[in-house]
Order: sequence, then C-alpha cells, then structure tokens
Amino acid sequence: MLQALLISNGLQGLEKYYVSNELVHYTTCFVTGDFNPDLTPYDLLVVPNGSDHVAMLKIKDQVSAFLDAGKALVCCDGFFTAWVPGNQWLMDNSRRTLDVRYTPGPDAHGLLENLPLDELNFSHGMSGWWSCGYIQAAPGAEVLLADTWQRPIVVLDEVSTPGRMLLTASGPLADVTYAGKSETASVTLYRNFLRLLSSETVPAHG
Amino acid sequence: MAKIGLIFNGVWSHYALATAPKYRDLYELLYVHELTAEAVQHLDALAIPFQSNQLVLTEKQAIIYDFLKTGKKVFLEGDSSTAWLDAQWEDRPVNNYWWVNDPTNPPVSETNYDHPVYQGLTPRQACWHTHGVYTRVPASAEIIQTNATGDVITWQTNEYGGTLLATTLDPLVEHGVQQITHLDNYVDRLTYWLSGEQPSAARMTIDAAAYGAGALV
Repeated sequence: MLQALLISNGLQGLEKYYVSNELVHYTTCFVTGDFNPDLTPYDLLVVPNGSDHVAMLKIKDQVSAFLDAGKALVCCDGFFTAWVPGNQWLMDNSRRTLDVRYTPGPDAHGLLENLPLDELNFSHGMSGWWSCGYIQAAPGAEVLLADTWQRPIVVLDEVSTPGRMLLTASGPLADVTYAGKSETASVTLYRNFLRLLSSETVPAHG
Repeated sequence: MAKIGLIFNGVWSHYALATAPKYRDLYELLYVHELTAEAVQHLDALAIPFQSNQLVLTEKQAIIYDFLKTGKKVFLEGDSSTAWLDAQWEDRPVNNYWWVNDPTNPPVSETNYDHPVYQGLTPRQACWHTHGVYTRVPASAEIIQTNATGDVITWQTNEYGGTLLATTLDPLVEHGVQQITHLDNYVDRLTYWLSGEQPSAARMTIDAAAYGAGALV
C-alpha cells in the first residue's frame, strides 16, 4: 500500500476528498508557521486544490530531494510559486471558458484509460469549469490533456527528476467514491496514477 | 498604497486577485502565518476570503477584533468558525447551476440593495452561488441577504467598533478564479466600500510576470 502525505492548509471539508483505501493510506500534514514536514517516510506527496503555495515554496528543496529519491508528487492546483521542478503553472483569463475543450495527448502508461473526458469538458452543459490557466510543461514531459489552444492542462513529468509528477492546471482531483455512485473523471485519473505507482513502487512501509 | 489587507492562506485565487493590475495597488497580501498587529496598522480594511485557515484565524482573532475596535472595516466571505466568530456557519451543497436549471429560483431570494456594496447591482451580480448559510448571527446584526428558507447569507454588525460585513458568497475567490465574468461589478463595489478607492472600470487582467520565479511572496 502506498503511503501518501496530504498537505492541508485547513480548508473546510478537504479530508472528505482523500479517503484511505486499498491503494493508499493518507496522512494529513497541516501547514503551520514553521512548516517543514519530513517527507522521507512517504511514497507520494499530494498537494490538493486550494493549497498553500507560499508554504510549498518554503520546502522546495525537500520536494526536490523527495523526487530525486524516485518518489511521486500530485499537484492538482494552481502552483503560482516556483516549487515544482521543471514545470510552472500560469493563471490566464484571456480565453473564453465557453471555448475550452480538452484533447488527449500521448499516454504511455494509460492514465487516461476509462476517463470520461466529457465530464471534464462539460458540467451541466457548460465548459471551462475544471481547470484554470495552463502549465508551462518541462521539455519531454507527457502532456496528457491539452486545451483548445494546445496548452498543457494535465502533465505527467518523468523527465525532470528521477521521480514522477502528475500535475493539473488547477483541475481538482480526488480519491473518494460515494456509496452507490460511479467514479467521477477526477477520481479515475487520480486512481490510474495511483495504480501506476503501485505497480512500480517499492512501498516505503512494506 | 494598498488600503485593504487580504489575509492570505497561500491559495492561488487569493493571489490572482491581489496581484491583478486592476487591484494590486489596492490590496496587500498578508500571509496568515505571518499576520501581526503591526502588519495591519496602516490599512483601512481587512478582507478574509473563502478558503481561509480557520484554525490560524482563531489563534490570531485578537488582531481582527483590535482592528475593528479602531473603527475600521472587515469583510469576511465563505465559511467561518464559531471559535472566533459569534455566528453559526453551516455547510450546504453549492448550487452552481441554478441559472441553467431553474433561473427563477436563485440561491438568494432577498437582498437589501440599499447597502453600499449592493447599490446598483443586478440580482445576478448580487448572487452567483453561496457556500453554506448562517443559522445564527449576532443579535446586533443587520441582515443584508437571505435565501428562500430564511437562512442568512449576508449580514453586518457594528458591535465591535468598526463594521464587520460577513457573507457566504465568495466574490474574492471567484473573481480570482475568473470563471464568472460579471464579478468585476460586485468586487469593485466591495473594494470601493472598503477602501474609498474606485478600481478602474476595465475587466480584471492577469500579469504573467507575477507567476513563477517572479511571484510576489
């Protein structure tokens, strides 16, 4: 089972979206004034939607060392500070949400398998609801989803560090399935990444 | 010089709004973990956005109430905690799509358009969606907005010296997100009420130089 550290800046209800299951056990780490978590016991660092990117910038070097050790990062948020190796999120409001459509790119590991892409393209008939801005992706990183203007929206980076990074342009991901309901697209994409990690990661906790 | 302190939880939407060319001379980001009484002394108003850290706000509540005691304004949006506010906020499902599915039934049914923030706004500009409701507010509170079942959405009190305006709307976060295109109307009214300064009439834009290595943190 993967051991994941979920970074929390105290947002109301965050814990409801990341629930431990057969693939992963979550430990929540709250941001404090002297934020300096020990990442070494974990396989995966999760920086969810609405996170504190001032705090993440403070631990930029620890995150780099974590990835250099072959570990994994999910950041599904607008990382406006420069703490993600090789990649940078930029806010942009120059394009109409009405025109936003996502198209799949190369997907060597099958992270888009069973992904209902229309769920990300439309909600109640409206487009442009899932992501904001775009990612300046590292050269050689896999752009799993691009927007109408071919800007990276979901990136799998296996080239900038020895580890793996799954990044979204603030599009939320989650690890929860409510009883009697099917997985949403944001859960499917996330769990496909977890399965990739599970198949190739030597768990930190046996 | 900025007149409004935006208490900042490191969240990108807070950052996008406060660094936008239209607002960056009016709002000053105050990182919540570094918030001190000295840091707010020169300001006319504080804004506490949705997606704030309620635990840290509780630890630092004296800064907020001391600021109010000097007769200044505080704006609070989204959720809150009874640990620092004498009001009961409760979560409710967010309805983003009422205007598609049932446009005659918005999440807010009554609005006092005499309030300076709401003067001149249309009903659509005065409510896009809500994040929960208040089921209890201070006895001194003036009710500004309610929903169809009578729950309070927006209220105001002068009980603490200055003016505290609280709402379960989220104009600052949503304007930072930029997925709702009419929010310049609400945020500009709010900004003027808080600071006495009128933002430019142009739509909010983004300065890409404020992102990445050039981030203003």
